[in-house]
Amino acid sequence: MTESRRQGALGLALVLPPLCLLFFLVVVPAVTAVVETLAPGPGGSAGLTVARYAEVLSAKVIRTDIAFSVVVTLISVAAVFVLGYPLALYLRFSPGRLASLLAVVFTIPLFVPVVIASFAMITFLVNHGLVSTVLYRLGIETFPPLVYNATGIVLTEVWASLPFAVLILGAGLQAIDDSLIDSARDVGAGRVRTFATIILPLNAIPTRITLTLLFISVFGSFTIPYLVGGNAPQMLGVTMTNYLTQYLRRTDAVTMAVLAFVIAAAVGVVYVASVSRRERDV
Amino acid sequence: MDRSVRRRRVVIASVMVVAVCLVGLQGANPARAAGVVTLNLYIGGDTNIFDLWKKAFLPAFTKRYPQYKANMVELLHDNGSEGIYAKILAAKRTGRTVDVDLWETTPGFLDQGIAEGLWVKLSPKLVSNVTKVPAPTLEAVDYYGLPYRGSSVVIGYNSQFIKNPPQTFDDLVAWIKANPGKFTYCDPNTCGSGTAFVTAAIYRYTSAEKFAAKAYDTKDEAAWAPGWKLLKELQPAMYNNGFHPNGNVAVLQLLAQQNIWMASVWSDMGLDWYSRGQLPKTMRFIQITPPLMGDDSRVMVPAGSAHLEGALTLLNWLLTPEAQTMVIDVVAGYPGIDWKYMPESVRQKFIDVAKAFAPWPNPKYLADIKRLWHEQVVGG
Repeated sequence: MTESRRQGALGLALVLPPLCLLFFLVVVPAVTAVVETLAPGPGGSAGLTVARYAEVLSAKVIRTDIAFSVVVTLISVAAVFVLGYPLALYLRFSPGRLASLLAVVFTIPLFVPVVIASFAMITFLVNHGLVSTVLYRLGIETFPPLVYNATGIVLTEVWASLPFAVLILGAGLQAIDDSLIDSARDVGAGRVRTFATIILPLNAIPTRITLTLLFISVFGSFTIPYLVGGNAPQMLGVTMTNYLTQYLRRTDAVTMAVLAFVIAAAVGVVYVASVSRRERDV
Repeated sequence: MDRSVRRRRVVIASVMVVAVCLVGLQGANPARAAGVVTLNLYIGGDTNIFDLWKKAFLPAFTKRYPQYKANMVELLHDNGSEGIYAKILAAKRTGRTVDVDLWETTPGFLDQGIAEGLWVKLSPKLVSNVTKVPAPTLEAVDYYGLPYRGSSVVIGYNSQFIKNPPQTFDDLVAWIKANPGKFTYCDPNTCGSGTAFVTAAIYRYTSAEKFAAKAYDTKDEAAWAPGWKLLKELQPAMYNNGFHPNGNVAVLQLLAQQNIWMASVWSDMGLDWYSRGQLPKTMRFIQITPPLMGDDSRVMVPAGSAHLEGALTLLNWLLTPEAQTMVIDVVAGYPGIDWKYMPESVRQKFIDVAKAFAPWPNPKYLADIKRLWHEQVVGG
């Protein structure tokens, strides 16, 4: 046995358990699900058919729910990004007590279970809740409802995802060498210029990773849209659960799951490309 | 590094992998105290039902039968039931026992499981007290589910604002239209009290018996169209321009905060909240004509239960007046056994409440009602 083969055997032995787990609990059910949705119904001819997809997509409610899920997810991701990037920059470049205090405070949502966060948001945003009371005191008497609709979902998703985004963006920013920024300043670049030409491009890969992971986690979320969302339209996680457990239409639910998977996979491609590029760069 | 050390490492790593896999396959095998059998109960429902089991039934049962202990799993709003069903089905198909000894769930799973032969068929030989249960409720499910308690959906209203409550379904509709924003029902996907109101609107234009029977034909659902039209019309008159909260509790909270004045609620939950002072003192409950739906809640014992004897002992105990009185005291439910077996005081107390209730649609129609409500009433 050569040295490298033995190394390989050890490596294989160590990755085998997670690989088994991945294969039997993710790959096999996923493939079975896809095959199930493509199989013709009882009495149908042999071969594969996309009839189930056509049927599921022909329902207006489902189309609306898919579009709603994508839009809510995009808005949430955009909002997290717009709020998170400046925070990450601040934490990276501002020394001092306030920054280190903020660095601790902003991670709090990471330690709050999402169910509790959702109920807290409901109490906070509902009619007669804190927000509406404050607005009322300020003389604003009519404003759109803040929970049990898309607004509520976006607000709660942003609250729950922000620390995660700031942590990953911050890790990327940490990796940028101070000397690069100093030299840019030396040759006369202002703050905006330094940001646009040095920081943003150097942090592009962590940014892309953050955005894709955020998209997938918000898109696939269940608890927040279930608790904070309205009756209709609903996000796909809730719709699928309803079709599975309430409407007793398993295959429809599986078909929607495959559609959701396709959407998430399309976004996942960006992630994989970013990660493998980073591997090459290193 | 020495070769033999490396080789040893490979061996150790492989052994560990095999060990991990074996443990995984075996499943956790809980250590058992000698002679004490732990029954695994899976209870789906709302928090009041969990309390009934956790705080009343189980302490009394384990006191009476100390050879048993109970491990209860709560399935809020029956979330996660699909997994339990799959587990029981998988055990049945592979001929193994399953660690689900008793399951309280929605009629849909009971029905699916009957076709697969998953449940123990009840008989006086297995569960002697079953003779006290009115026969029709057992026949409805071919003796596969034990109706251990009942309740019905009624109209809860705040008498501070409403002096003349509606007596019929049409009165109720007229009241809702005349008092926009003061009524709602919960999303039928999350609770039965909402489903009951929705189904009442459907039954209004067709016959309840037809859809409660076992036959199922999607063509007959065309008869539901006027019901959907009515519900859609009512949407702007609902609380918050057509908002339906998730779960029975959320509706009771709206009543408690006086955001709404009237709602469809479960008799047991409403009376329970009222008796604990969680609703305004002026809350009242009435049944309208035709009555809203009611139900006997059932528990099933999987035929592959690992502790069959214990599970059947528990079933039999559930039908004793001791346990049945807890149903009334704790959740204000109706007893599962015939009223004549209940203590006289209990019978007097419930003389006005225990009225007839409308039957539920069969599980397939019920699933379609929920789906179509979503499509036709809120999603359209």
